[in-house]
Amino acid sequence: MQILQAYWIPKAVDVPIVREQLIGSAYQLEYPVVTSEKIREITALIQQNRVDYLQRLTTGDIVNKIDQAIQKWLNPGYPLRIQAEALLPIITGYDPEMVRLELKKYMRTFRKKELLRFLDEEFDQAAMLDEFRPRKSGGLSRVYGPRSIFHVFSGNVPGVQIWSLIMGLLLKSANLGKTSTAEPLLPVLFTQSLAEVDPQLAETIAILPWKGGMTELEKAAVNSAEAVVVYGSENTVKAVRKIVPLSKTFITYGHKISLAIIGKEALRPDCFYETVHKFAEDISIYDQQSCLSPQAVLVEAGSAISPKQFAQLLAAELARYAQKRPRATLSDEETMSIQNLRHQTELEAIKNENIAIYASKQDTSWTVIYHHQPGFDGSPLNRFIHVFYSEKLETDLGKMQPFENYLQSCGLAVSPERLFPIAERLGELGMNRLTQVGKMNSAKPGWHHDGRFNLLDFVRFTDIERGLEDTLERFDPDVE
Amino acid sequence: MMVKNKVALVTGASRGIGAAIAKKLAREGAFVGVNFFKNQQLAENVVNEIKTFSGQAEAFQADVRNPEQVQAMVAQLADSFGGIDIVVNNALSHYTFNPKTRKTAWETNWDDYQQQLDGSVKGAYNICQSAMPFMKEQMSGRLINIVSNLIDFPVIPYHDYTTAKMALLGFTRSLAADLGSFGITVNAVSPGLTYPTDSSVETTEDVRESIIQLTPMRRLATPDDIANAVVFLASEGSSFITGQCLNIDGGLVMR
Repeated sequence: MQILQAYWIPKAVDVPIVREQLIGSAYQLEYPVVTSEKIREITALIQQNRVDYLQRLTTGDIVNKIDQAIQKWLNPGYPLRIQAEALLPIITGYDPEMVRLELKKYMRTFRKKELLRFLDEEFDQAAMLDEFRPRKSGGLSRVYGPRSIFHVFSGNVPGVQIWSLIMGLLLKSANLGKTSTAEPLLPVLFTQSLAEVDPQLAETIAILPWKGGMTELEKAAVNSAEAVVVYGSENTVKAVRKIVPLSKTFITYGHKISLAIIGKEALRPDCFYETVHKFAEDISIYDQQSCLSPQAVLVEAGSAISPKQFAQLLAAELARYAQKRPRATLSDEETMSIQNLRHQTELEAIKNENIAIYASKQDTSWTVIYHHQPGFDGSPLNRFIHVFYSEKLETDLGKMQPFENYLQSCGLAVSPERLFPIAERLGELGMNRLTQVGKMNSAKPGWHHDGRFNLLDFVRFTDIERGLEDTLERFDPDVE
Repeated sequence: MMVKNKVALVTGASRGIGAAIAKKLAREGAFVGVNFFKNQQLAENVVNEIKTFSGQAEAFQADVRNPEQVQAMVAQLADSFGGIDIVVNNALSHYTFNPKTRKTAWETNWDDYQQQLDGSVKGAYNICQSAMPFMKEQMSGRLINIVSNLIDFPVIPYHDYTTAKMALLGFTRSLAADLGSFGITVNAVSPGLTYPTDSSVETTEDVRESIIQLTPMRRLATPDDIANAVVFLASEGSSFITGQCLNIDGGLVMR
């Protein structure tokens, strides 16, 4: 029996622990007993460690250290990677092969060159994080990240937690992450890798799992932090919002909907299968649990396969995918929501020939609902997709207006000359990421997450004005 | 039940395709000898799984390359179950299917070829030689050899493996020509890349994906797909089919 910590705290802190058996494996997870006092103690310590160490590193040093940790993860034989590959499927229910492939692809997006790009994307000069740097318009500026960031993670898609921690490190902030019980492990393992590279760096990070909604604990964490970032559902975001004072930087990544738009050019005889195949991947990876996954697709008529045939082919492809990489087992609640919607649609389809349903027979593992009219709709997730018919895509884009506050990624497959007109319209409607079908789940590191900056949203600038710079020259004792 | 009360022997049946064939034959009513070389525990697991659905099976250790061991195994099997009706030659010498680390034509030496010929062809030869007398006695029998669709379409050229499998097909056809008069059929089953199995686990995602792209049925074979075809060739349904090679690869190879 191997015991694994589902938390990470600086060495100097002592917490009582409880152990929990991981079903079906030779591992036990060890959880800390978290109290408000402990949170205050831990935050004070990681903040002090930040002052003593992290704050003094240059951004270049930090990038190199993160890169070294990432390099470890890119080695298939790395023990922590092997542990993650073995345990994440058990914890999350995702297909092991899917976790293995997605995890390594994700880790590759944090190589040094990508981290440098990420910094360059947002800062004219990343060195502003280290010192005052001259600006093109005159004067000098320096950027300060928060002294500490409290990250609230949720959901069970492995990955985003690491991205969030990396941002915190690049900003030279102390980082406290609250993990969800649905996936407490990956941020801990990653921090462990950082510790292998540089123990002092890892002493500026704490990862604590506790059940969301324990307001006392969250208040303690919020009060000790200078910035708060929340990932999760509308409810999670609302709950945290209530306890964050206006004076603190508060960044949220809440509920989002992603869609796809497929033009007749992508359904020609030479490419329709490829389009269907890639789109099925978008739906199946992490069972649509990521907000990047499509919930509906608008398909244009007029090519080798009709939108209805697209729905049928998609159903067959989802069936094959389910055989290759089965979906996770669902909770009763999740199963019910799929069954209810299926049932409702079946009844509707009897009266209304414009609706058809294609679904796995024995279970709820995949569902395609075809609507012979333009539209968009949300899905109960877990490989459940709406296919809508369109005579001409451009005329039907407005149908997504009801979702405008939630729109995030759009998988797009049209001929090149249609890109800009469609992109303009989608941009107006609030869509913030257009991507190719088949890659909807892999956002690039420098992307404007939910339409905003990443690092820039956390920082404050201090400017030395041109006038001051010039005037001070007069006070040089050696001035002419 | 397609093979009710028939006695079957499946070589290399502790895992992968062999295990799936053993289980399917048992489900269809056969008494199954589950041959293994090293993995006794895995073979016992297959036998136990068969027993859970009230099937009948027993594990038999033998290195198919060794004529004495094979002789003893077949005799023991025929003794325990009263004859032998179906033989599935599935065993081969250990082989790692890894597109990244495979040997090129100019790196493959004769020992590599010999090793594969020993496992695939000599193994089948030993088994068939031992089983034939029983089948001749019964004036019936089904010999089924597992080859590979790489013999028709070497997507990845595993030289030694594929050469041995092609030799096994020649062995199949010439055996069929001689044994037909005794009422014994000899056929081959040619699987496409079968996933998941221990052998295919190192075939990288990209290779798997490119094979899927070329396959009309748009997926890889599963061990059960192969087992279904073997059960057909072992059953009455294939009474007048001999010397044939049945491709089970979703249409990747058509001929």
